[in-house]
Amino acid sequence: MAIGVLFGDLVKAFFTKPATQNYPFTKTIAPERLRGKLVYDPEKCVGCMLCVKDCPSNAIELLTVDKINKRFVMRYHPDRCIFCAQCVQLCRFNCLNMSNSLWEMASTTKEAFEVYYGREEDIAILLERAAQPGNNEPSCE
Amino acid sequence: MNLSLHPLILLLVFPGGLFLMNIGLMYEWADRKLVARFQSRVGPRWFQPFADTVKLLAKEEIIPNGVHKIMFQALPIIALTGALTAALYIPMFGFEAAFSFEGDLIVSLYMLSMMTLSIGMAGANTLSRFTIIGATRALTQMFSYEAPFLLALLGPAIAAGTWNIGKINTFAGENIWLILAQPIGFIIAVVGLMGKLELPPFDSPEAETEIVAGALTEYSGRGLALFHIGKNVELVIGLTLVVIFYLGGIANPIEFILKSAGLFLVVSALQSMFARLRIDQTVGLWWRLGALMGLLQLLAIIFGRYLGEILR
Amino acid sequence: MTEGKKEKFIVPIGPQHPALKEPGNFEFTVDGEIVTDAAVRLGFVHRGIEKACETRNYTQDLYLLERVCGICSHVHATAFVLGVEKLAGVQAPPRAEAIRVLAAELERIHSHLLWFGVAAHEAGFDTLFMYTWRDREVVMDILETLSGSRVHYSVNVLGGVKIDIDQKLSDLIKKDMDFLEERTEHYMKVVTTDETFLGRTRGIGTLSRDRAKLLGAVGPTARASGVKRDIRVNAPYSGYKEFPVKMVIDQTGDLEARFVVRLKELYESYRLIKVILEKIQPGDIVTRIKRKIPEGEVISRVEAPRGELFYYIKSNGTEMPDRVKVRTPSLCNWGTITDVAVGHKLADMPMLLAGIDPCFSCNDRMVEIRSDSQPSQIMDWDGLRKYGIEYYK
Repeated sequence: MAIGVLFGDLVKAFFTKPATQNYPFTKTIAPERLRGKLVYDPEKCVGCMLCVKDCPSNAIELLTVDKINKRFVMRYHPDRCIFCAQCVQLCRFNCLNMSNSLWEMASTTKEAFEVYYGREEDIAILLERAAQPGNNEPSCE
Repeated sequence: MNLSLHPLILLLVFPGGLFLMNIGLMYEWADRKLVARFQSRVGPRWFQPFADTVKLLAKEEIIPNGVHKIMFQALPIIALTGALTAALYIPMFGFEAAFSFEGDLIVSLYMLSMMTLSIGMAGANTLSRFTIIGATRALTQMFSYEAPFLLALLGPAIAAGTWNIGKINTFAGENIWLILAQPIGFIIAVVGLMGKLELPPFDSPEAETEIVAGALTEYSGRGLALFHIGKNVELVIGLTLVVIFYLGGIANPIEFILKSAGLFLVVSALQSMFARLRIDQTVGLWWRLGALMGLLQLLAIIFGRYLGEILR
Repeated sequence: MTEGKKEKFIVPIGPQHPALKEPGNFEFTVDGEIVTDAAVRLGFVHRGIEKACETRNYTQDLYLLERVCGICSHVHATAFVLGVEKLAGVQAPPRAEAIRVLAAELERIHSHLLWFGVAAHEAGFDTLFMYTWRDREVVMDILETLSGSRVHYSVNVLGGVKIDIDQKLSDLIKKDMDFLEERTEHYMKVVTTDETFLGRTRGIGTLSRDRAKLLGAVGPTARASGVKRDIRVNAPYSGYKEFPVKMVIDQTGDLEARFVVRLKELYESYRLIKVILEKIQPGDIVTRIKRKIPEGEVISRVEAPRGELFYYIKSNGTEMPDRVKVRTPSLCNWGTITDVAVGHKLADMPMLLAGIDPCFSCNDRMVEIRSDSQPSQIMDWDGLRKYGIEYYK
């Protein structure tokens, strides 16, 4: 029967640095394999659509600009993504990987997140197409 | 040291009233910071209790159904008044007591227990299941801890031969520290202080994981802010009393700060070391162990004085 | 004194209460401080996951089922994957099975340390809570370095695992296991000798072995009462055939025994992880599996940190399962509380609740109650909606 078994711990804890950090002022370095935001390389993509089919939360959409020359634009919704890395696992051409530095995703507005990945001219063509009135394409919402 | 100021200033600004409430907030910050450091955390910044109080005062006060409205709103004020009045007779911060007369020790302690009594009544007034249990536990704990705490403070009073706190202060400053002459009394005083202030491990009346917040569950806004300030003032007064009686009195502000800081360190360490005791274990611990030790200490003091008389 | 209608003083714990981390409703009828009756109501976290599984394909279901619970996420995914692999007739390679067991044991460590902190908090021992969670950060950092995420590691894929271990990682894990073993010894000393803590746990909530067997308790709750139930030993699955575990039993059955059993299981986990890291064979980590799973039904049982986890999967030859049924361990342990609570004080209730390690998110499944008086009905979706709206009016 002992009283105050934690006494040694208390003394030690009082004289060492605390275990918590002042977050915005000091940040730890993220580990290498951290699954942050998705990054897409349009050069290697062939358009097999496996990542779109198996995404558990429909966070990836692949829009075709030019199927013969393999020019695609990916619309990625980080707010729907669950960061499971299934798409990275499935892609056979190494177009996708999860960044380990883009993980701070708090926002002050209520707008949905949306990121377009692709070559500049492809994105411009798509946005122009969507902005034209009277088209059958779904809007950018 | 003596202060010759207008009595109204003594009452409202220094050392009663505003000064006391601010010192109470500082003590609350020190308490939270020390406990956090013992738990290997960083702890809040210095203005946190002040910010909490301002936030509470700015919130809407919701009066639950079925309570006695006037009592609901008056009890926090009565509690705070009791705590502030008790401070008038204590040499605060190294200066002499604002008002003092023979027997003010009893009046001070009585005013402090008025604070616990109003928490109990506030809990019984609000007809919520959590508050009734909290009020019952608070009153039970009050029954258990008033007697030994008074016994512990009685020892130095007998040694000094007076009921006046100011005179006990001078006596303690001139002679050997009473913690060495009456060690059992010191232990009882510290444990009794923790029980009176409902600090862990004796915080069964406001056990967060069992009865939400005990007697004060339904309070919000201004009422809660006043109760919190009252509890902080009670902490200041309790610590100062134990320092005066056992740690050699307070002669000037420097001694006040140093000795209070030392005692505060000990109390914070005791706070973090133990699990919470159930209410029946608290009462059992006290009436079995504490009361016996208190009586032992009293007998020792009386015997010592008798011996002193014979040897003279 | 007139007897008449006696007024009952009921203290509700939940749905919102500082003692509970997740919503659930317990009503204790109290007489002063002594509890005279107890009632349990669950169902606040029902999300319709089993129904959602039927409209998604197997890969998407894997990630959905992982999110049934945050603390035992890996075992849910493992149970599902083992079932699907059995249906498809595919066996994952040995290195993948070893990595699955490694992640499961790391999860067991993190879950038991979390539980220990929460139980200490319920006892009012905040300091111990902070210390154990500080040590749990070590395990969370390992898991993050290994898999990329602190919760929901997503280590499994159909046919194997996604991640691999190299020598540097292996050394890091071994070093951390040594550190944690030292800390656990210290905590064992605190739990068994600290006077105030023993006053809250010794002799409280005693469950005899026969009652535990009758009520169907599983996991450490049952093992603390002397019932020998552990799926890893009774029916080894996945990598446990190659790396066996010893069962940890205690005979007393009170709260202190439950603490001691879980801490001793931590020692077993440390030992097992070190053995795996030493003896793991090089090889590949995933095999091919078809997208369309052939028809059949399968049962899959694994040992979650809280007890036996039971999955039933029925496939119909397409890419989407026909029915997935999940029976989680916490559901079996509720009966022990209402049985034991009567006669204890109100202050012991949060400790009793914490003693069975409840995981409310795992709990809310559809339960069918067959009564002899009413015939059972079959309702379709619209009928069920109408019934629910009428019931709550």
